[in-house]
Amino acid sequence: MIWSALKVSLLVVAVATVLTTALGLALAFLLARRDFRGRELLDAVLTMPLVLPPTVTGYYLIVLLGRRGLLGAPLYAWTGWTLTFTWQAAVVAATVVALPLMLKASRAAIESVEPKYELASYTLGKSEWATFWRVTLPLARRGVLAGIVLSAARALGEFGATLMIAGNIPGKTQTLPLAIFEAVVSGDDRRAQTLALLLTLVSVTAVYLTNRLSRAPRAHAA
Amino acid sequence: MTATLQVQIKLRLAADVRLAHADHAHTGFALDLAFETRAGINILFGPSGSGKTTTLRAIAGLATPDDGRIAHGSRVLFDSAARINLSIQARRIGFVFQDSALFPHLTAAQNVAYGLRQPEQRARHERVRELLALFNVEHAAARYPRELSGGEQQRVALARALAAQPDILLLDEPLSAVDAPTRTRLLDEIDTAQRADGIPFLYVTHNHAEAVRLGAHLILLHEGRVVQTGRPLDVFNSPQGALAVRAVGTENLFTGRVIEQRMTDGVTIVEVQGVQLEAAYHALPVGSLITVGVRAEDIIVARERLTQTSARNVLAGHVRAIMRLPEQTELLVNCGVEIKVSVTAGTINALDLREGAEVFLLIKARAVHVVS
Repeated sequence: MIWSALKVSLLVVAVATVLTTALGLALAFLLARRDFRGRELLDAVLTMPLVLPPTVTGYYLIVLLGRRGLLGAPLYAWTGWTLTFTWQAAVVAATVVALPLMLKASRAAIESVEPKYELASYTLGKSEWATFWRVTLPLARRGVLAGIVLSAARALGEFGATLMIAGNIPGKTQTLPLAIFEAVVSGDDRRAQTLALLLTLVSVTAVYLTNRLSRAPRAHAA
Repeated sequence: MTATLQVQIKLRLAADVRLAHADHAHTGFALDLAFETRAGINILFGPSGSGKTTTLRAIAGLATPDDGRIAHGSRVLFDSAARINLSIQARRIGFVFQDSALFPHLTAAQNVAYGLRQPEQRARHERVRELLALFNVEHAAARYPRELSGGEQQRVALARALAAQPDILLLDEPLSAVDAPTRTRLLDEIDTAQRADGIPFLYVTHNHAEAVRLGAHLILLHEGRVVQTGRPLDVFNSPQGALAVRAVGTENLFTGRVIEQRMTDGVTIVEVQGVQLEAAYHALPVGSLITVGVRAEDIIVARERLTQTSARNVLAGHVRAIMRLPEQTELLVNCGVEIKVSVTAGTINALDLREGAEVFLLIKARAVHVVS
């Protein structure tokens, strides 16, 4: 049971981290470098899962993506497939909850890159796309990496929203935090302890890495 | 032949900036100017706040004018009437920033290579070496910007800008953060680079020595308007109108010939249109052409000839004109050459100065500095 939960967790965290990184970078660039109406509103909406009770986030995900949800109903009518109680649902829950951390760290990191470097790149004939990859991202990389580590750790620890939309199906949607919950409820203290220690270790490592990445301000040596 | 750059733009400042510059309130435009560049190095000269940097940014596309047209030869870069506004990338205009803006995560060589357009690896490598050599910074190829001196950073920035093969190169006070000896050498290198590359340069400065040393053509700005154009020395020595007088600043510039070197006394004698000036010693062979400068506020005015004085130059002349500007009063004194002298309004009364009055100008040798 430990092993199956570990397998589910690793899969969910891996996919959620890839999604969080891609979405987070694109949105962070948009929020940091583009001036548009509703920019701060968009930031607020995306940041909400950070402060909402995870069960509320989970509830909104059901309303949005459940079989009778706003997006879920047409999806079910079209494909006959529904997200709820699948491992993909656990990925969605983990991504939505982890995204704010990635977004906050990356937006701050991108905003701290002086625009003159981007302008210099444009005057050298480089497109905005090329400039982002070759100038902005390398200069923001510490903050972005910190965001990735933090959001991966958050995705690993995700419980409430996952339970709401993905359920607690061993071997399918039961991640490590859910397995701990079940172990405690069923009185299996040894297993709860082992799992708790494992997750603690991962979290401490993540926070340590994040601090290291954000402390040294800028060491650009190769 | 190189095509000229034609600039005719109007640009409003943001409301909060405009409040600080109440002078612009009458037209509502912070910039309202038109000029054309010539081949070679063009100088955009003016006191700080005259709109030099904003003009450069508008040409490069880093700022958008409210109205006007910018064209390079037949290529239109911006035209508000025709709704043309080329992207920064499409303008092919190089820009050397005041503080170099080298990419901190790339080495000097990587910075230069960043701008290159040729794809072939060998050719790229070769071109980077050539450009670093052109500015004498081959030794710094593998170093990061923070490991370079201010002068080296600007040399790499110049090499990087030329690597992208721009049609025009804009330079925004590139030597403002560079120490004096390095400045002299960099001026030579910029001049050489322009001759080697052949594209026109548009160089922003408020330094007379840089303008005279580099410029073939000078555009004088004052509060966002072009007030005079011409050869740098001509503009500096005969500014037309009060605005131009204010914009050129307080420097007297003279071109003359070294006629004698007195190394033991530490002086160089320069003859300017029949007038001999003692300048602080400068190692130049007798007979060479030289430009020297004297700041108008470094000159003392006396009504009688003083003899026991440390001022090595005592020139007799008469007041040709008195110009009262809000912030200073300037005398124009003819001593065989015309010399601007900056005095306070009180001095005019105390010495009973008026047009035609005979005066003696006292100038320390050290105040006569060599410009180029």
